[in-house]
Amino acid sequence: MTTSHGPALELDALTKTFNENRAADGVSLTVPRGAMLGLVGPNGAGKTTSLSMAVGLLRPDSGTARVLGVDVWTDPVRAKRHLGVLPDGLSLPERLTAGELLDYWGRLRGLERDLTRTRAEELLRVLELDRAERDGVLVAEYSTGMRKKIGLATALLHAPEVLVLDEPYEAVDPVSARVLTAILRRFTDGGGTVIISSHVMALVEQLTDRVAIIAQGRVLADGTLEQVRGADSTLEDTFVRLVGAREIGEGDLAWLSS
Amino acid sequence: MVELLIKLKFALDRHTPSGTRWLTLALVVGGAALTWYLALNAASDAVRSSLLTLLFTLWAGVWMFAPTLTNGAGVLRPQYFTLLPLDRNRVGVGLLATMFVGVGPVMTLVAMGALVWHSWSADPATLFLGLLGTLALVVFIVSLSRLVFRALGAAMRTRVGMEIASLQWGLIVAGLFFGWVAIQPAIAATDELAARGVEGTAASVLAVLPTSWPVLAVDAAAAGSWGAAFGWLGAFVLLTVVTVVITGRLLAPSVAVRGMRQRSRPWGSRVLEHRGSWLPDTPLGAVIGKELRSWWRDPWRGFELRSALWAGLFVGVLGLISYLPQIAPFAGVIALLIMGMGASNMYGHDGTALWMTVLGQGEDTVRADVRGRQVAVAVLLVPASALLSTVMVFATGEFWAVPYVVAALIAFAGVSNGLSVLLSVVAVAPGTDPHKRVDANDTGDHSFQSWVSLVAIPLLSSPTLLTAAVTMTAGASWVTVPVALLNGGLVAWLLGSLTIRHLERRLPEVFARIRYGGEVAVRSAPAPEGTMLERIERGTLERERESASHE
Repeated sequence: MTTSHGPALELDALTKTFNENRAADGVSLTVPRGAMLGLVGPNGAGKTTSLSMAVGLLRPDSGTARVLGVDVWTDPVRAKRHLGVLPDGLSLPERLTAGELLDYWGRLRGLERDLTRTRAEELLRVLELDRAERDGVLVAEYSTGMRKKIGLATALLHAPEVLVLDEPYEAVDPVSARVLTAILRRFTDGGGTVIISSHVMALVEQLTDRVAIIAQGRVLADGTLEQVRGADSTLEDTFVRLVGAREIGEGDLAWLSS
Repeated sequence: MVELLIKLKFALDRHTPSGTRWLTLALVVGGAALTWYLALNAASDAVRSSLLTLLFTLWAGVWMFAPTLTNGAGVLRPQYFTLLPLDRNRVGVGLLATMFVGVGPVMTLVAMGALVWHSWSADPATLFLGLLGTLALVVFIVSLSRLVFRALGAAMRTRVGMEIASLQWGLIVAGLFFGWVAIQPAIAATDELAARGVEGTAASVLAVLPTSWPVLAVDAAAAGSWGAAFGWLGAFVLLTVVTVVITGRLLAPSVAVRGMRQRSRPWGSRVLEHRGSWLPDTPLGAVIGKELRSWWRDPWRGFELRSALWAGLFVGVLGLISYLPQIAPFAGVIALLIMGMGASNMYGHDGTALWMTVLGQGEDTVRADVRGRQVAVAVLLVPASALLSTVMVFATGEFWAVPYVVAALIAFAGVSNGLSVLLSVVAVAPGTDPHKRVDANDTGDHSFQSWVSLVAIPLLSSPTLLTAAVTMTAGASWVTVPVALLNGGLVAWLLGSLTIRHLERRLPEVFARIRYGGEVAVRSAPAPEGTMLERIERGTLERERESASHE
């Protein structure tokens, strides 16, 4: 049952092993309602794997996830109703225009035709994809940044309560990034919950109120920005302290400056 | 550079598990052994000559088709070298050179060596022609194989290119079908083949094909016509050089824009402006709309659909103008069967876009996804194939065939429709993800599905086929039609339902198989004691794991 209180998203000891490599090793995380959480970690830390298991895309070896109290793996249909997801680097129905894609998605989600149409038009206008739609450009022809934007539109169309966005700012131009930030802020102001994953510490620091640091499949720190940062002056310092710094030696790559 | 490319090719091969490599090895070794067996046992020089023309044509045919039908992910792709400061055409020629390294080309050389034996036994003075011909044949066949493969990939960049490629592919498939009809009796009696060789129309058709020219050169020289001999071999060497040059150009890394560019707004895309829609406002309507648009616009899917229809049409036309008019009315049926195989990897075509079906999962969305795909394929195919057969019936006047054509259309439409959606799920073969596709076989290797279809379609249509056989002698041919209706309808519904039940249980696993590949998916493979479909899924997964590349 959906509970009216309690956390928006709970990752409960999620574990996954790929080819003898433990990509997620008992990942547990609790995201309160209305929060904006930044999930940060080095490349290959297990961010995407953890998020995929949390939203029902990848079945965990053990552990589970709950969205507004509904178990994603025992009651997927109800859990997914509350979720809006932007996965990273996956295909879309490539031979549709943005309008057709949103029309398909709205019908599949069981939205009324007129509601889908109104929302789709508004989303395309706000995300500046309306011109491409007028020209009948197919998703296959979109740039990487445009693909992120149409992905975001699919995540928002059914007005979910919890948004899970994997690298939403990657390849997005600065103007569109501001629009995206405004959208996310409006979403959390209205009571929605956002989880974003990113490599960019400054962005997470500026945008989110909660942070989780993940490395080698484990959660190293989790809490409000202030709690995680502690005595460090920036989140990057905390990140480097926890994950470990790698400096290049004096003589390394000397040929680059010759 | 060539040496480096060859090393790179071996490195890629080392990282490719050896599943299909053994099959390929068995095929080429068996083929070479058969070639030599027939060359050594031929009753006379003339018989050996006709046999070699047939065998060399078969070798060329297999080389042309195999890379397109199977997944050559381990092969060096020209786009790996786009950013290197190297001359593009030199890279192209270098890449072509790497194609001559490996067991396949070596065994092909061994097989083509039968021409050396032919020249020696016909007249030792023609030996040098045999040697030259053998080398030219290997170069020609291997280059042609790459040429067809890359030309198909290049054709996918423009709409016109895709349409022309579909037409040509349809013609090749129809040609092979007819070629098979012509030579099948000869192949069926291999003992006699060694004694009598290839005779009649097949022999004259084979004689014109380029792979026969070196054989004709040896024959001409042995008969004393040295002028004709040099003419045949000269023409073949010239053709080989042209093929090598064109292939080298096609293999050069391309910097053109990937994918098909739209010049105008695609048909049916004003969904946000138009108020009405002819599709129901439900998940089923959503899937039908998406599928119809994808089949129509995606060059890879469009190629499957259009080449099936073209192949049907050409089979009809060839039947019409040749000695087999009774085949022509079944043109639509043939198109249906080919398309049934072409549609048997629908989820592989979608690639990781399946995440939308997983995350958009509602009460009835999985059912909608499966049934929607079935409806879309039927809508695209049934009217076109029925029209094709109707036209052919009137063109040939073979009205006796009408009840059988109608019954076959109905039965095969249902059976292949159900089977293709089932195979698309349990044997999904993920290729390169849709937004990164370049080459003709980037949609995944669906040769397994095609082989299963070849066996399963007649088996599942057996009630109709048996009724047709019985009623043909009893003179009540129309009885076959209701049987076909029941047969086709039931199989389409039943296999669709099985697919839905399977997918409802294992939707994330099917996605994992596409997203992460066989190694990861096999960890969550169904238990060996699971349902029949789960066992098939497990079997295909293990097969894929063996043959998949780590690319």
